[in-house]
Amino acid sequence: MEILKKSLDPVVAMVIVGVLDIFLFLVVGAWTVGGGETMITGLLAKAAVGDELHRLPFWVYVFKPSFYYWKMYISLGMLFGAFVGAVLSKEFYWRVPRRMDEWVMITVGGLLMGIGIRLAFICNVSTFFAITPQMNLGGYLAVTGIIAGAWVGSFIYKKVLES
Amino acid sequence: MHHNSLTQCLASFFFAAVVGFLMQRSRFCNTAALRDAMLFKSYRNTKAMLALMIVTTLGFTAFMSVGGGHPIEFEVGINQLVGLFLFGIGMVLAGACTVSTWVKTGEGNIGALWALIFTFVGMFLFSLFWSAYYWPPAPATMSATPNLKGLQFGIANAATLQLKTGIPAFVFGLLQTGVLGGIYYGIVRRERAMARARETAKTETAGVEAATPATVTAVSDAGAA
Repeated sequence: MEILKKSLDPVVAMVIVGVLDIFLFLVVGAWTVGGGETMITGLLAKAAVGDELHRLPFWVYVFKPSFYYWKMYISLGMLFGAFVGAVLSKEFYWRVPRRMDEWVMITVGGLLMGIGIRLAFICNVSTFFAITPQMNLGGYLAVTGIIAGAWVGSFIYKKVLES
Repeated sequence: MHHNSLTQCLASFFFAAVVGFLMQRSRFCNTAALRDAMLFKSYRNTKAMLALMIVTTLGFTAFMSVGGGHPIEFEVGINQLVGLFLFGIGMVLAGACTVSTWVKTGEGNIGALWALIFTFVGMFLFSLFWSAYYWPPAPATMSATPNLKGLQFGIANAATLQLKTGIPAFVFGLLQTGVLGGIYYGIVRRERAMARARETAKTETAGVEAATPATVTAVSDAGAA
């Protein structure tokens, strides 16, 4: 089990992920996360309010809550795989942000990610590892957007950390 | 459209379980790939991101040349630029992207779980907004309701390029690989130059050598965080 304690070279890890991603592309579609998260949101909302949810056309036309949606299992699989990896390498432990400004940044960041994904209809994974490799024009627009956003975000992040 | 077979769901789960494991073991993070390059001039994750893009570009365009695979078919719009701009700010503030929120939650990171919960909240807020206005433009291919034509450009990818030009999609894929490879090579050269600069600085200030290695450790720590 010594090998599990060593950190993997990310380039090697991502080349393996790339080969697997090509297989997934043949079976069902390229790796993506945002859609699955939206479906989880829909299922949670449905569990909370029941059929009332259908009063919102978004959950009728765009994402009708269903358990048979492959992208959702991408999220659950990553959670499971990371948990196994962390337990095997004895890296699982509870980590809680300590500073209040961290909590605020995470909350605002999470909201912006959720809104951004739905506005764009794609997430960062589909941007970099699905539609840009498919040479989709939307991918190039999205890469431009995310680089600009990360630049602005880094600027804010630096200002908050320095204060 | 949101109904897949059990096999497809299981295949997705197994794919993602391996991905989650590899991500956890390699500490790859897409946020760090952009943020660390901009803030710390550290390219560990950026190189991995480019390597993955090169492999998938070759694979996807090769299969798209013969009409294989499941390319995403949606209408390109200006909303991709704006949406990912907001996402880019959000991921740096949250310190995690869509992948690392799940991976870090799997490691017991409560901050990542919190980011995930608020991603769901953000998505739900957006669904309220969308339901009220049917805007911003949901691509017709996804909502069955075409709207805001001026900001939608139709479907455009390697397959449509092949259809229009008669040149196999893989040729375009090779061109893109060349560009990505060029960026990768540029980063490697830059890293070498930085390493050389550090070496020179070290020999020049042999007496006070502690300063430079300390900064280097700080940077690599930030990259792994």
